[in-house]
Amino acid sequence: MKSKGFMRIFVIAIALFFLTAAPLAAKDKIVIGQAISLSGPQAAGVDISGGKIYELWVHEVNKEGGIFVKEYGKKLPVELKRYDDKTDIGTMTNLLERLILEDKVDFVFPPWGTAFLFAAAPIANKYGYILIGGPGGALKLKELNVPYFFQVLNFSETQGPTLAEIFKEVGVKSVAVAYRGDLHGIEYGSAMVPDFKKRGIEVKLNKSYPPDIKDLSPILKEAQSLGVDAFAAACYPPGGFLFTGQSIELGINFKAFFLTVLPFSPNAYRDNLGVNVVEGVMGGGAWNAKSSPGAKDLVDKFVALFKVEPDYWGGLFYWSSLQHFRKAIEKAGSLDQKKIRDIMANEKFETALGPFWYDKDRYFVNHPGEIGQWQKGVFEVIDPGAKRTAPPLYPKPAWPKKK
Amino acid sequence: MIVTVLDILIAGLLMGGIYALIAVGLSLQYGVARVLNIAHGEFIMLGAFITWSLYTAFGIVPLVSLAISSPLVFTIGFILYKTLFTRLRISSPSVAMFEGKSMLACFGLLFMIQNIAILSWGAEIKGYSYLAFPVNILGAKFAANRLITLGFAVVFGSAFYLFLSRTRIGKAIRAAAQDAVAAGLMGINISWVLALCFGLGALMAGIGGTLISMSYQIQPTMGLEYTMIALIVLVVGGLGSIPGSFVGGFLLGLVGSIVTYVQPGLALVAYYVIFMLLLLAKPTGILGR
Amino acid sequence: MHIPTSNYKKRVALGVLFILLIVMVTSPLYAPRYTVILLTSIFMFIVLTVSWTVFSGPTGYVSLAPAAFFGVGVYASALLGFVFPLPVVILLGGISSSCLAVIVGALTLRLRGIYFVMFTFGLVELLLHFILWWEVNITGTTGRVVPTVGNTTVYYLMLGVLVIVILTAYLLNRSRYGLALQSIGECEEAAAHTGVHVTAMKISTFALSAFFMGAAGAIMATRWTYIDPRIAFNPVLSFLPVLMAIFGGTGQLYGPVIGAALFTYLEEFLITRFPYYYMLIFGFIMVFAILYLPEGLVGMIQKLWKRIGGAKHADS
Repeated sequence: MKSKGFMRIFVIAIALFFLTAAPLAAKDKIVIGQAISLSGPQAAGVDISGGKIYELWVHEVNKEGGIFVKEYGKKLPVELKRYDDKTDIGTMTNLLERLILEDKVDFVFPPWGTAFLFAAAPIANKYGYILIGGPGGALKLKELNVPYFFQVLNFSETQGPTLAEIFKEVGVKSVAVAYRGDLHGIEYGSAMVPDFKKRGIEVKLNKSYPPDIKDLSPILKEAQSLGVDAFAAACYPPGGFLFTGQSIELGINFKAFFLTVLPFSPNAYRDNLGVNVVEGVMGGGAWNAKSSPGAKDLVDKFVALFKVEPDYWGGLFYWSSLQHFRKAIEKAGSLDQKKIRDIMANEKFETALGPFWYDKDRYFVNHPGEIGQWQKGVFEVIDPGAKRTAPPLYPKPAWPKKK
Repeated sequence: MIVTVLDILIAGLLMGGIYALIAVGLSLQYGVARVLNIAHGEFIMLGAFITWSLYTAFGIVPLVSLAISSPLVFTIGFILYKTLFTRLRISSPSVAMFEGKSMLACFGLLFMIQNIAILSWGAEIKGYSYLAFPVNILGAKFAANRLITLGFAVVFGSAFYLFLSRTRIGKAIRAAAQDAVAAGLMGINISWVLALCFGLGALMAGIGGTLISMSYQIQPTMGLEYTMIALIVLVVGGLGSIPGSFVGGFLLGLVGSIVTYVQPGLALVAYYVIFMLLLLAKPTGILGR
Repeated sequence: MHIPTSNYKKRVALGVLFILLIVMVTSPLYAPRYTVILLTSIFMFIVLTVSWTVFSGPTGYVSLAPAAFFGVGVYASALLGFVFPLPVVILLGGISSSCLAVIVGALTLRLRGIYFVMFTFGLVELLLHFILWWEVNITGTTGRVVPTVGNTTVYYLMLGVLVIVILTAYLLNRSRYGLALQSIGECEEAAAHTGVHVTAMKISTFALSAFFMGAAGAIMATRWTYIDPRIAFNPVLSFLPVLMAIFGGTGQLYGPVIGAALFTYLEEFLITRFPYYYMLIFGFIMVFAILYLPEGLVGMIQKLWKRIGGAKHADS
C-alpha cells in the first residue's frame, strides 16, 4: 500500500518535472562548450596559458548580467561547459562533437595546443560553429579551408623576424638554435635560421631534440664551446625548464638567452625560479600591463580572481579576441553563427589591446608584441618600434651564483 | 674550451644515477612482490610533491624532508599491499594471474593518485631551486644537485643491497622472491614480507621523487614518464636485481649522453634500440639470472 | 533432452545477434548524430580488444603492441589517403600492420612471459621516437594532414571491420586452428610434439590480429584531420584493449566485446558528468572490479545466470 503511494507521487513528480521543464526551453543563457585537457601531459600547459582566461571572461561577462542579444530582448548570462579530453585527440574530437550535437551548446571554445586546433577546426567548421583559436597556431593551418576558424595567437611567421631584428640591433654575431621535434619546434626552427642568416648572424649550431628528453646539457655545452653570443630554443615547458635549469646548474652564460614557450609565464617561470634568476631571459610573447590601459585592466581582474598574474604571451590576445567576439554577437543581435562569423571576419572593434580585427585569412594581425624579456620582474616588450615597453637588456646578466 | 669526453661521461653517470634510483624500487616490487607497478611513477610524483610542499611552505630543505616524505610513502605502499594486493594474491589461482590482475589494479591506483594530486596541488608546473650551482671536477663543470642525487642513489642502492643480502629480513625477502610457498612453509610471514617489499619499493620511489624535484620541474602528470624509464632500466639490468638496476641505469645514462651529443633527436630511439636488442639477445638482462 | 535446449538457445542467440546487427546497420538513419560517433568509438575499442584477444587470449602471450599496429594504420591513412580510395587505404593499413607483426613475431620467438610484454611495449615507443626523428630530420615536418570523410562513412567502415573481426574470432574459436592455438597457450613443447606448427601459427595469428588493429587505425585517422607520431602511437591504446578484455573476461568471445563496450561507455559517461573527478571514480571502479569480479563481467553474468536458472529450477 505504502509503496503504491510512493509510486503515485513519483509519477506525478516526473510529470510535473516535464511540464515545468517545457516552458523553460525559452532562452535564458548562452552555453559555451569546451573540450580541453584538464588531465594528462597538456594539463600543465592549459593551466599556465589560456585555460583561465576563458573562465575569467565568463566571470566578467556574468558580472555585468550577460551579453545583450537583441533577438531575445535581454541580457543572457554565459555558462562554460567544460569536458576533459585527457590530452587525447580522439577523446577531444568526440567530446567536441558531443558538445555540438548532443549538448547543443550555443558556441564552442577551442581545445589546447596546435595539433588539437588542427583537429578541432574542421569539425567546428563542418557544423558551422565559429572556432576562435586559442593557445596554438601554425602556418600549416592556413592550408585547411575552414571559414569558421579564426587564428588569434602570433607564431613563428612574425616572431622569427622580430627576434632576428632584436639580435641584430643589440649586436649578436652568432647564435645556437635548438628546437623540439614537433610542429612547434620545426616551424620556429625553420623560420628563425633563415631570419638570422638574412641579417648576417651566423648560426653555428642547429639541432632538434626529442620531446621527452631528460638531459639537454650536451647541447648547452656544445653551444658554449662554439662560443656563440646567443642561445635560442624553440621548446615547450619541460624543455624550457631543462635549458634554463641546466645552464644555471652548469654556470653556462650566453649574452642572449631566448626560449619560445615558458618565459611568458610569470607563475611557472618567474616565480618558480626567482626574479633575479630570470633577469634578462627573452621569450615569445609578448605584452604587459604597460601595453595598454586594457592590458592593465586584464592583469588587475585576473589577479583579483585567481591570485596570480596572467600569461604574458597569449593572455591579452585571447582576452581581446573574446571581447571582439562579444561585440560581434551584440552587433548581430542574434546567436546565429553565420551572421556573427561574417561580422567577426569583416569588422574592427575596440578591445583591451586596442583595435582588433582579422585579415583576409582570418588571422589576427595587430599583435601587442612579439618578443618579451624579463627585466626586474616585468616581462618587457622589446620589439623594435612603437610596441616596445623597454629597450633590450644586453648582454644578459650572468645567472646568479649559489642559492 | 671544448666539450670533453669526460664531460659526456660524467653527464651520463649523473643521469644514470637518477635512472637507477627510480628503477631499484620497481625492481624490488616486481622481483619479489610480483607486482608490475605501473603506478610506480605516481609514488615518485608523491615524493616530489611532498618535498616541494615542505620546502616552499616551511622551508624544510629537501634532503631533510626525506625523513618525512619517505616514511609517509612507505606507509602508503605497505598498507596498499596489505589490503589490496594481499587479497588479490590469495584469490588468484596462479602467479601469472596475480601479475595480470595486480598490474590492472595499479592502473586503477595510477588514475586515483593522479586525480587526487591534481585536486590537491593543481595541474600547474611547480619547481624550486636548490643546490643549483656548478661544481668543478677535473676542469669540467657539473651541477651540485645532480652530483648529490648520484651520491644518494649510490648510498641508498648499496644500503638496500646490504640490507637484502646481510640482514635476516633481507634473507626472508630473498627467500620469498625465490619461492613464496616454500618460504611460507619455512615459517616466514609471507604476507608481511611482501608488503614490506612493496612498501620499500614505494619508499625508493619517494626518495627518487625528492631527488628528482631538485633538478626537474614537477607536475601531477609526470609519473608515467618515469615509470617507462624505470621499466627500460629494469629490463636492461635484469628483473629483480638491484646491482642490475644500477648497471642498467648507468648504461642508459651513458648511451643517452653520447647520443644526445652526436644527434640529440635520436637519444630516446637509442634507449629503445638497446632495450629491444638486449631483450632479444639476453632476455633476463645484463645481470639477470 | 539436452540437445534441443542447446539448439533452442543457439537459435535465440542467433536471432538476438541478427536483430542487433539490423539495429546497428540502420541506426545512422534514426539515432542522434552523436550516438553514431560514440558507437564508432565503441566499435573501435571492440575491434582492438577482440583482435587482441584473438592472439593473446588462447596463446597467453600478452601483447602491448596494439598501439604500434594502430599507429601504422594511422600513418597508412596519412600517407596514402590522398592517393587511393579509403577502402584500399584501410586494406593497405591492415596489411602494413600485418607485415610489421610478422617481423616482430619472427624476432620474438624466444621471448615468453614478461619479456614478450616488454618487447611489444618497447616497439610502440621505438616506432614513436624513430618516426618522430625521421619526420623532423629527414622529411622536415612532423604533422601530416589526413583526408576526412563523413561520420556515417566512418561508422559503416568501422562496423564492417567489427563484423569481420567477430566472425573471424568466432570461426577461429571453433576451428581446429583455434584448438591448436589453445594448446600452444597450455604448453608450447607439448603442442609441437602433437604436430602443431607452433611458429607458423603464432606468427600468422599475431599478423591476423595486427591486421584488424591497422585497419581500425586507418579508419580512425580520418576523424582527426591532423596526425603526428605522438598522436598516432599513443601508448594508452596498448593498455586499454588489455584492460577491456580482462574487465570483460577472456573466457568467452562475448567477454571482450562486452568489456570494451561497457568500458568505453562508462568512461564517456564519467568524463562528461564529472570532468574533475572522473579519473578518481574510474580508478576506483577498476580496483573494485578487479577485487570483486575475478572472472570479469562475463564471470559475473554467468554466475547471475546460474542463480536465476537455479531459482527457476527450484520453483518448478
